[in-house]
Amino acid sequence: MKYLIAEDEVVLQQSIATYLSQDANICETASDYNEAAEKLEMYEYDIVILDINLVTGNGLELLKKLKKQHKKCGVIIISANSSLDNKLEGLDLGADDYITKPFHLAELNSRIKAVLRRGQFGGNDSITFQEIRLDTLARSAYVNEKPITLTRKEYDLLLFFITNQGRVLSKAIIAEHLWGDNSDLLDNFDFIYVHINNLRKKLTIEGAKYIQTAYGSGYKFIAD
Amino acid sequence: MVISGVVLYSYTRWLLNNEIEEELYSNKDRVEHLLETSPEIIGVAPIMMAEKAAATEANILIDTLIYDPLQDEVELFRQLSGTKIINGQNYKITVRAMVIEADAILYGIVFTFMTIIFLGFIFLYFFNEKRNQKLWKPFFVNLGRVKLFSIKSDKTLKLMQSDILEFHELNQEMESLTNKIQVDYRNLKQFTEDVSHEMQTPLAIMQAKIETVINESDINENQFERFSSLQEDIQRLKQLNKKLILLAKIDNDQFTATEVISINSILKQSIENFEELSDVCLEMTENAVFNVRMDRTLAMVLCNNLLSNAIKHTIGLQPVEIIINKNSIQIINNGTTGLDRPEQLFNRFYKESKKPDSTGLGLSIVKKVCDYYNFNPSYLFRESEQQHVFQVDFNLKANV
Repeated sequence: MKYLIAEDEVVLQQSIATYLSQDANICETASDYNEAAEKLEMYEYDIVILDINLVTGNGLELLKKLKKQHKKCGVIIISANSSLDNKLEGLDLGADDYITKPFHLAELNSRIKAVLRRGQFGGNDSITFQEIRLDTLARSAYVNEKPITLTRKEYDLLLFFITNQGRVLSKAIIAEHLWGDNSDLLDNFDFIYVHINNLRKKLTIEGAKYIQTAYGSGYKFIAD
Repeated sequence: MVISGVVLYSYTRWLLNNEIEEELYSNKDRVEHLLETSPEIIGVAPIMMAEKAAATEANILIDTLIYDPLQDEVELFRQLSGTKIINGQNYKITVRAMVIEADAILYGIVFTFMTIIFLGFIFLYFFNEKRNQKLWKPFFVNLGRVKLFSIKSDKTLKLMQSDILEFHELNQEMESLTNKIQVDYRNLKQFTEDVSHEMQTPLAIMQAKIETVINESDINENQFERFSSLQEDIQRLKQLNKKLILLAKIDNDQFTATEVISINSILKQSIENFEELSDVCLEMTENAVFNVRMDRTLAMVLCNNLLSNAIKHTIGLQPVEIIINKNSIQIINNGTTGLDRPEQLFNRFYKESKKPDSTGLGLSIVKKVCDYYNFNPSYLFRESEQQHVFQVDFNLKANV
């Protein structure tokens, strides 16, 4: 997949690029409005990660241009402004998702994958990892084509793991992905142990031992 | 007034005395003339009397009290008596005149004065009232406007102009003062919001850096532990930020999507969320079902914050009770002692417990939401049952 990351904070831009290129994706970057406009004009991308507040212009203008040209690429807006109006404006203009800073790279990655899966951009409804298959439309999971029963959270957790396979995920990242705004209602993330352990047990019974503990308190989903 | 009264009294008395004496002398002359023509005359008692006398006397003026049978009272007279030789006969002539009594004069003066004062007072009263009304009208109109003035509103304070210099100056000062306050208030609000938003990008960078580092394979368990605790600190900053932005949004009236919401279902939803997040048992008792007109997000925020507060502070894993009454909800959790300063409970950044990782904003958000919709939040500690009780009264009559 080919990504364009239009973000004026170079450190953030580089971190995103590093994270996303781990899946053998090609990541190009643009640090201001003109550079982004130029690259969008000249090349085709599968996904554009667009910061609204680019130093030299408004990211939303780029989005408008993009939609005018009927380019087939997914757009994910990243913005420091969490207000609903901005979000709605972005989505109305044709963005596929909107994510507010600060976000976890794993979260961004899982949003990108979700956008890609929505068909249009060359993805499909089924995700396969070794013997595990997820049907994202029916939200069901199979191991060796044998269905396994997962709760809503366990399914989300498994999807998140597979999407971010090979990366270390800390409790904070997982909690925020699964519970979003509600994850900060309580002061500790102990509650996610229960869900992870349940999922792990269910997968282990079927012989799929991919959830590994990393560095003691983190998790990593990885093929042996 | 008193001095002028005394002066007037003495002067009047003196004048009257003079007049009476003059009259007495002229009456005496008149009697002497009459005696020249008709020596037998004896006068009119007790005012004029003539009698033959042996010795001569000089004219004497005295005050005398004489009984007046006609009026049946003793009256004060001024008397002039003296002898005069008329036609070779010595006559003693006595003339008297009734003196106006001192108290009568006094009464007269006092009465007159009182009347003048009274009339003057009435006149001045109405005159002043009329004048004051006109004079103070701009002041009172402006006072009313100042009372209605809110620094939160976008409208600036417009005052009624007045020709009176002092009022004009006051108006100018008031207008510039309120404008300044409004601008400052707006700046302050803007500042909170801007700071919160500006913090998001550096936080995003920090978070991204940490994630990049923990995905590089050359770190050890100890380092990961530190990084993930850093992540949790960033998480706290994010929470704090999110809450400050929420408070700013409520202040800015940005929750306008009011709809009729069932508090029962919002609470149920909230309880479901928490059951996934915590082992504390949540027991709901529905004594009533009711709807409230408010923004859905804020309703969720209100219930979540109350529940999360109760779950955080309940002792051990003792259950939290949620009771829905006719137009209020109660969230009850266990505790050992009441709060030290319950009146501060809903203030920003007030923390009673020493839990280091709470933001101290949860209940102030509850308060803010309640204020926004005129709900009434309250807290009490039930000594007998060792329970903290948080109640929100929804003021349903005013709301729906």
